[in-house]
Amino acid sequence: MEVTISTAELLTTDGVPLKQSLRKAERRNKLRAFLLVFPLLFFIVVTFVMPIGDMLLRSIDDSQINSVFPNTFKEYKNWDKAADELPPEEVYKSLFFELANGDKRQIGKALTRMNYAKSGWKSLIKKTTREIKKIVKKGEEPVSYKETFIKINKFWGDPTYWYSFNQMVNDRSSIYYWNAVDRTYSEDGDVVLQDERRRMYIKTWFRTFKVSVYVTIFCLILGFPVAHLLANLPLRYSNLLMIFVLLPFWTSLLVRTTAWIVMLQQNGVINGILVWLGIVSDEGRLQMVYNETGTLIAMTQILLPFMILPLYSVMRVIPKSHMRAAQNLGAKPAMAFWRVYLPQTIPGISAGGLLVFVLAIGYFITPELVGGKDGKLIGSWIAYHLKTTLNWGLCAALGGILLGIMLILYWLYNKIVGIDNIKLG
Amino acid sequence: MSKFLKAFLFVSLVFAPFAASAVTVASWGGAYTESQQKAYADTYSDPSSIVFENYNGGLGEVRAQVESGNVVWDLVDVLPSDAITGCDEGLFEDISSEIAELSTPGPDGESMLEDMENNGLEYHSGWDCCVPQIFWTYVVFYDPDAFPGEKPDSMADFFDTEKFPGKRGIHTWATGIIEKAMVADGVKPNAVPTVLANQTGAIDRAFEVLDRIKDDVVFWSAGSQPLELVKSGEVIMAIAYNGRVGAANLAEGENFEYIWEGQVLDQEYLCLTAGAPNRDAAIDFMMHASTPEAQAEQAKYITYGPMRASGIPIIENNEPWGPGGVDIMPHMPNTPERLAVSIVSDPQWWADYGAEIGERYAAWMGN
Repeated sequence: MEVTISTAELLTTDGVPLKQSLRKAERRNKLRAFLLVFPLLFFIVVTFVMPIGDMLLRSIDDSQINSVFPNTFKEYKNWDKAADELPPEEVYKSLFFELANGDKRQIGKALTRMNYAKSGWKSLIKKTTREIKKIVKKGEEPVSYKETFIKINKFWGDPTYWYSFNQMVNDRSSIYYWNAVDRTYSEDGDVVLQDERRRMYIKTWFRTFKVSVYVTIFCLILGFPVAHLLANLPLRYSNLLMIFVLLPFWTSLLVRTTAWIVMLQQNGVINGILVWLGIVSDEGRLQMVYNETGTLIAMTQILLPFMILPLYSVMRVIPKSHMRAAQNLGAKPAMAFWRVYLPQTIPGISAGGLLVFVLAIGYFITPELVGGKDGKLIGSWIAYHLKTTLNWGLCAALGGILLGIMLILYWLYNKIVGIDNIKLG
Repeated sequence: MSKFLKAFLFVSLVFAPFAASAVTVASWGGAYTESQQKAYADTYSDPSSIVFENYNGGLGEVRAQVESGNVVWDLVDVLPSDAITGCDEGLFEDISSEIAELSTPGPDGESMLEDMENNGLEYHSGWDCCVPQIFWTYVVFYDPDAFPGEKPDSMADFFDTEKFPGKRGIHTWATGIIEKAMVADGVKPNAVPTVLANQTGAIDRAFEVLDRIKDDVVFWSAGSQPLELVKSGEVIMAIAYNGRVGAANLAEGENFEYIWEGQVLDQEYLCLTAGAPNRDAAIDFMMHASTPEAQAEQAKYITYGPMRASGIPIIENNEPWGPGGVDIMPHMPNTPERLAVSIVSDPQWWADYGAEIGERYAAWMGN
């Protein structure tokens, strides 16, 4: 016998088809669930998605300057650089009027932008604008705008200034990203290496990466035994040990950094002891701070708790009987550790490692203070451009690259270890 | 309505007018802001209406406030290159007519701006939005006990590691050092800004001089570090903010010597944020904080020099000017004799080339 069920005929007690009624109930549930998470969602969108989106937008945005000099840039694109040494008369003419009639503040903002493309634009345009306004006030119409500009300042006859327009003539450009890896645009708009004496970003990127990897490894080497002790000692000892871990963690970052300077400097505690012991001579005191070594040592100590705590919380729940069982079955202690204990701590190592690495790659204050000669990381440069040069486009590009690196690492990590393997306790 | 709410509403209604009329001044904090509090706010007609807040310099936060339309700081204490950029970009309000009308003239009837020019300064667009505060300098100092024999007394000595072997403490950014290197290379201090602006290859020259001490340098990045470096013997001499050295000498009983030759004078301004919530009160306070008397008063509490030339005679004629009967003039950076061997840093030039030189300096440090 064949049984057919026709859902269309199933009705609830109040005569509404069951399917419809179920859908309604489900919709209500969904709405309720959405309303519950809405505050969190709103919070994340406002404080996380929007700022990061805005930052990424800024890293490719050049619309402000394009709104100040639209005609100049349009004419500029018609300049045949192979044929003429200097841009055509129309470029000078457009610039003349855009400087004469433009809003002072908008021009001011554009100047800050222009100065990133080539140093010296700022005062050149300011001086020129003053002269142009005088000419306009007198009511004179220049015969040749080009000659007028060059008469005001000889730099207007210098094509290198004009070449730098290449970097700004489009609303959207990738110049900030190129700048962030020591590259710039040539006179023809090709991407070329920055002047050799100014190249420092690639070096800093590699250093940031290197320091972060080293700090993570050192933290693991130092943190693993400590976490193991914490998890296995009797409670009264482990509590005391925990305080030793947490006390520095609660101490101000600046205090800890300064303490390291006192310890490591050439007339500091460690060098003093080494000289007293006769290990190094008085003249041969070690340079351990104000360089990369100082950054490594101080950052490792400061980030250590971020490795110990996740490790500890994972190790605490590993039953001690596992190791005993392994040894009981014939494994030597080392083998039992390697094959039985270590694999169970992987979630803690992952969590700690990722935490330390993420914190280290964007670290700022400690490297700034103890980094000196060659221990500064990319974070210092983001701060520098944010505050001092106001080159927020470059800031955003540096931040964007940092974000990209993190996403790639996260993806790799997920491929190799699996993200659900992370455990904080 | 609960009692608590009522009480809250009442309190906020009573205090709201006060909260609204307080002029917020963002400044660098520490001993410097303390000296501003004592010299400017405490001597003001209504001291409680001025509230100082600390910030770390730069225009980043100002720009964020102005762009978002949520201006919290009425006044900001800035370096001259930031005064110029902020004024050009409209982050600070152009109050040149108010300054011309309301500022206190000098004793001989010279206007405030003329008074500043008498101190070796040149007009820049920051003057349209800001009033002067103090001269501070990058000065080289040392502990005389570290030099039993001949003592260094010039920039040439600072960059000569054969004559004076030992480490030098210098800062991790380029301003000030470039100028000092030019002096060590034989340029007359007063001519340094002109040479930097007009001579091609001047920067290369400066970096060649820097190369001489490259292997004997300890870099510092916070103002207190150079004093620690010299005190602990880590370096034999260092560049520092002169106010820090003055404080160590006056308050901590140190005996540091300055090398005034080749000191790089930099300026400090108080600027009105565009869209400041208490604009008029803020302007009134600006005018008070830029009188010669108020400027001289500040030297009592920190050894930075008044930016108005007429402030100096007030100190000179009333010595001992410092607290506890100490003379202040030995620590003032801008006496006429010292100005003659000093460089007045050119903020317009640094606004033009600062970013590029900053990167080049960093590349030099890391190599």
